Amino acid sequence: MIVERDVVVVGGGPAGLTAAARLAAAGLTVTILDEQPELGGQYYRRPAPEVARRWGDHRREGGELIAGVRAAGVECRTGHLVWGLADDDRTLLAEDEAGRPVRLRGRHLVLATGAYERSFPFPGWQLPGVTTPGFAQHLAAGDHTPIGERVVLAGSGPFLLPVACSLLALGVKVAGIAEAGTPYRPGRRALGTLRHPARLRELAGYAARLARARVPVWQGAVVLRADGHDRVSSVTLAAAGRPGQAIRTVEADALCVGYGFRPQTDLARLLGCEVTADPGTGDAIPVTDPAGRSSRPDVYVIGEAAGIGGAPTARARGLAAAHDILARETGHPVPPAEARRVATAARRLGHFTALTDALYPSPAQLLDALVPALADSTMACRCESVTAGELRADAAGDVNAAKARTRAGMGPCQGRVCGFAVAGLVRGGAVFPSRVPIRPVRMTTLLELAAEDGPA
Amino acid sequence: MRAADVVIVGAGVLGAAAAWQLSRAGHRVVIFDRGAPGREGSGTTAGNLHVQAVHTRRPGQEVPIDSARFLPLQRAASDRWESVEDDLGASVELRRSGGFTIAETPDQCQELKEKHTWEAAAGIPTEVLDGDAAREALPLLGPTVTAATWCASDGYANPLKVTPAYLAAAAGHGAELVPYAPVREIARRGGTWRVTAGTHTVAAPVVIDVAGPWLGEIAALAGIRLRMTPVAIQMHATVRAPVTMSHLVQHIGEGLSVKQVTAGNLLIGGGWPARALNLAGRSVTSVDSLLGNVALAVRVLPFIRDLRLLRAWAGPLAATPDEMPLIGEVPGEPGFLVAGGTYAFTFAPLWGETLRGLAEGAPPPVEIADLGPDRLMTQTKTHEGRQR
Repeated sequence: MIVERDVVVVGGGPAGLTAAARLAAAGLTVTILDEQPELGGQYYRRPAPEVARRWGDHRREGGELIAGVRAAGVECRTGHLVWGLADDDRTLLAEDEAGRPVRLRGRHLVLATGAYERSFPFPGWQLPGVTTPGFAQHLAAGDHTPIGERVVLAGSGPFLLPVACSLLALGVKVAGIAEAGTPYRPGRRALGTLRHPARLRELAGYAARLARARVPVWQGAVVLRADGHDRVSSVTLAAAGRPGQAIRTVEADALCVGYGFRPQTDLARLLGCEVTADPGTGDAIPVTDPAGRSSRPDVYVIGEAAGIGGAPTARARGLAAAHDILARETGHPVPPAEARRVATAARRLGHFTALTDALYPSPAQLLDALVPALADSTMACRCESVTAGELRADAAGDVNAAKARTRAGMGPCQGRVCGFAVAGLVRGGAVFPSRVPIRPVRMTTLLELAAEDGPA
Repeated sequence: MRAADVVIVGAGVLGAAAAWQLSRAGHRVVIFDRGAPGREGSGTTAGNLHVQAVHTRRPGQEVPIDSARFLPLQRAASDRWESVEDDLGASVELRRSGGFTIAETPDQCQELKEKHTWEAAAGIPTEVLDGDAAREALPLLGPTVTAATWCASDGYANPLKVTPAYLAAAAGHGAELVPYAPVREIARRGGTWRVTAGTHTVAAPVVIDVAGPWLGEIAALAGIRLRMTPVAIQMHATVRAPVTMSHLVQHIGEGLSVKQVTAGNLLIGGGWPARALNLAGRSVTSVDSLLGNVALAVRVLPFIRDLRLLRAWAGPLAATPDEMPLIGEVPGEPGFLVAGGTYAFTFAPLWGETLRGLAEGAPPPVEIADLGPDRLMTQTKTHEGRQR
């Protein structure tokens, strides 16, 4: 099946939903795709129906946004996994929830593919009970299910706070939060955030909730190792400055470790969009103009995929991209007042992101602290069982040579989990290349596609 | 400037095998590579050790290979693979678990029988099976298979291990590898070649051009015009599956080779073309080729249908216009040796030994007179009009 639309939006989170709603409201034909069974993305993840009936919707504005998208006439294709790009360089190849092939073409492509969590290995990270904060949040928000009974959160970044609050709301004992940086101290940099009362109020609200529950926050602490027999039973922490030496052991039946998020750019890179290393994070991010337009005039990259900024920024970027497309389609620029409002909001949000980013250690600083302390025997690539030591051996700064030599990144996660650590261990800033299929795809989908006519 | 006995251009499997042979014999060897060693054709190949006649035609391939001419070379190469792991003191996941070449149509069955006759004449033992006998031997084969030849010595070696193992063994004998050093200049003065790569200049009486898809470009630096026709082909890998298939499966009439590697992934290839050969970066795979290749694989081996495709990649193939191997000294350019062409991975141990013989002025271990570069030379004074 070939779907032809004015605009195809990939990703049904805050950015994609905002862009789709605005474009369809203006009369364009729009299809939005998401690999999950429901729209919303991670931030506006819909609770399961029974959960919503008993406990309500944790983010009502998400439900309103999705309702707006449907009301505007956007074709919503959930359960669709985009795995490739046809040889014509513009037809997206997807499989639907039943595994049938779907080809999609848009005169404009809007990539709102979001982000994935930044992981870093430590001894014991393969134990059951060790997950990421995002997974704990997903279980809590979507299924009202706690990840454990006594939970330690660790890593870095503001996201650890709302996850801890979600767990508290489920009645879970949060044994503590280990933050690699030292952001929660009054300092001159923090004062800049005062200009953003709403965002600051949100963070302050989390902090107050955690303080009331007497959840300890150990700043400047990282996970040294997790121990346990058939699942994690204790977590040992070290000082971030001396990451090899134990400072504290905490009992826990769940450990959630994440160092913020990395933009998911594989589809943008597959489409040939130019990427650059983000000066702050070192991540590969697509080069875009303020409206999200990439180096390919028909491709926009918005939301977290264009650089981590949070849901309000993602919505602003979605609107800016929609305005740009509408101006190109109609020949009439969006009324200056509306355009100015969006631009101002985006700029303010960008400023807030820069200020909060400055409070936490950058990924480069994290690697500097974590990589030297990582024992050679620790498994770095879980899919292919490659240790840190194997990756370190004759590291020439080339992640692809390291992949060929060790198999790291060749497994089902295709480097999404291990990529950050592999780049740190081989001292190469590069990322694994993006190639078809960008996600493992069913053979049956390929066979059906091969039997169809038209470009593939 | 430094002096060496041999400069090798290209740290692929041929360069690595030659470096080991030469350094082990006491020669001072320097190897240059434009990037990381073994990352182009030698790292992207399927790793098949072809002993029964190779008969597959790559989709888009214009000239069929002269299978009968290949057979004595394959046999000689096969013998040499036998000792590679002992020679190098390293595992390369070498496996001789045999292979099938299958047929689906009456014409293909006929070809299979002819192929068997040549193999018998060349002393390569193969057996012709009808469809049911083939399915009895390998129950994974699908119902469209009407005949197959079985060769017990077909095999596999992990290409990501072979080149590094040769290079490590060569380094143990004093060979010097200089990666990330593209060769810029090659000049001859009397009996000495000077090769400049990056900041290095090395003088040596012998230069070996084993630069794969860049073989022609490197020769051109020395003023030698060789008509090469490099192409980019692609490979496909499924997710890991329980190990159930130890044999290599090829098709006599279409582009297909399938095997299961040690890690459990099924590797599906057969020379399907990538979108285009990109010598500046990595060639991009074609979805049309991907679909064609996996559809063929599932038809011949239906169990693959239940798996997911995990990865696909493209790599260069240093093909010659006549699809025959290239090996020998360039006429009129003493000491300038070249080696390349298709099936270089299977031939690597043989060509490594042959290159050592050529460098030492000793007779080659197999007949190679018809495989020399003279047939591909286009603009030399002495060889005009001798093209095939």
